[in-house]
Amino acid sequence: MSFLSHGPYRIRYELDGPADAPAYVLVNGLTQYAELWAAYRDALIARQFRVATFDLLGQGESDKPALFISQDDQVAALHCLIGELGEGPVFLSGISFGGLIALRYAIAHGERLAGLVPMSCFAELPPQLFLLGNALRTGLILGGTSYLQDLLLPMNVSDEWLRPVLNKLDSVKHQGWLVNDVYALQNLMESFLDFQPLTPKLPSIGVPTMILNGEFDFLTPRALHETLRVQIPNSSLVIIPRAYHAFTLEKPALTADLLARFADDVLAGRWKGNKTVWIAPEEVGGDLMPFPAGYDHLRAIPVKGGAV
Amino acid sequence: MSAFFGPLDSEGRVPPQQQTRVAAFLVSAHAALARRFAVALPLKMESAWQTELNGQLYSEAEIVSLLMRSTSWVPDFALAYMAAWWETCWLPAPVEGIADHSLALAVDLATLAHAIHAGIRPAALLPLKANANDPFVMALRRVEFESGRLLQAQIMFLKGEPLVPFRDAVSAALERRHAELRKVWREMLQSVGISADDQN
Repeated sequence: MSFLSHGPYRIRYELDGPADAPAYVLVNGLTQYAELWAAYRDALIARQFRVATFDLLGQGESDKPALFISQDDQVAALHCLIGELGEGPVFLSGISFGGLIALRYAIAHGERLAGLVPMSCFAELPPQLFLLGNALRTGLILGGTSYLQDLLLPMNVSDEWLRPVLNKLDSVKHQGWLVNDVYALQNLMESFLDFQPLTPKLPSIGVPTMILNGEFDFLTPRALHETLRVQIPNSSLVIIPRAYHAFTLEKPALTADLLARFADDVLAGRWKGNKTVWIAPEEVGGDLMPFPAGYDHLRAIPVKGGAV
Repeated sequence: MSAFFGPLDSEGRVPPQQQTRVAAFLVSAHAALARRFAVALPLKMESAWQTELNGQLYSEAEIVSLLMRSTSWVPDFALAYMAAWWETCWLPAPVEGIADHSLALAVDLATLAHAIHAGIRPAALLPLKANANDPFVMALRRVEFESGRLLQAQIMFLKGEPLVPFRDAVSAALERRHAELRKVWREMLQSVGISADDQN
């Protein structure tokens, strides 16, 4: 197990794959831990990438500051990790809270990145997300980590994923419950108490950016990703069919394939963002389809016109 | 060395030696908090926040009572020495950077309570196969669950507006309490064959 130092704190990280290869850095969601990217490590290393995973401050095996964790500290810790990767191309991807940290990193240190992939992500806290976040925090306070997991699981994955594990949910939740502490999760959530929208700073992100959004994500719905697409100049929005907020857990093979294809396209000079909207294939290796022209990708029913 | 209690017996119960030492540690820590809350609680309440202090006192007493009754105690000759050492860890400690003596004492008590409620997770030592109907298993889950709720009072106080000017001093005192507590908790667990390396 390797650790980086950030001030008085230790950040647990892991580097795998060839040292001279382009690197993918993967940033956890709020209640996640580095091992959840194991399938991505295997898939991306097989595609000749180096993969860096780590636990954010307050998560897993990294240190857990007792009272405050600022999002600036998370960005600084991520900068330490990226500093370990040498001079080669770095692609940064993060999910949900990790996507927000990745956005912050791209705003602060975009020159160090070759590409950015925010997934199930947001740059603002509109009323629905703000109130949901408050309710989740209250759930954590009143019912502990286990109750927070109980709230998040059915919101964030599909019936197809849940059905076969319904009678063993305790063991599914156990590792996440074990490595996450109530006070540390609460500190992560309370890092939003002084949150300022990132939207005005998004146009400064100059790197190629592929925004991934689950078709059925209602925790961070399409409109939040649309803000990223509209504001980040060299971006495109890719909608993952039949996917919820935690599609990185549910569809690792498909998502890893999209990450690898994006990086390959960027490195080969083929990538053109143009703020386009795409629909991802349902299976690994399938073609991405342009969102049908003339229809509004922000609606759940086929309405003509709209923001495309 | 395992990260969990064990080996469990055929009915999924934790070995009595491990029960005894872990319960003794928890009783020592929570009884120390109960004593300090009792000293801090006035006979006649004058502020609304003192109602929370009253609640904390009786919750700590409940945890002690629960552990006393749910543990399968066995003779443990090392306990006298260990308990004496633990008791020294709960003594008031100076908080540098806060000149107001009564405020410094309150911060010290809150940091100790935060460290015990947040940093000690006895239920995380239970293997998945532990018998959920065993009183000791149920007690540890209850202690951890209640600790998460009791912790909220310490979080509100330590993050509260009156302590904003002392934020660095408070954070330093709290990190120190957490580090000290992690050390004694880890040592105690190692003494009964449990590795706490995975516990933050």
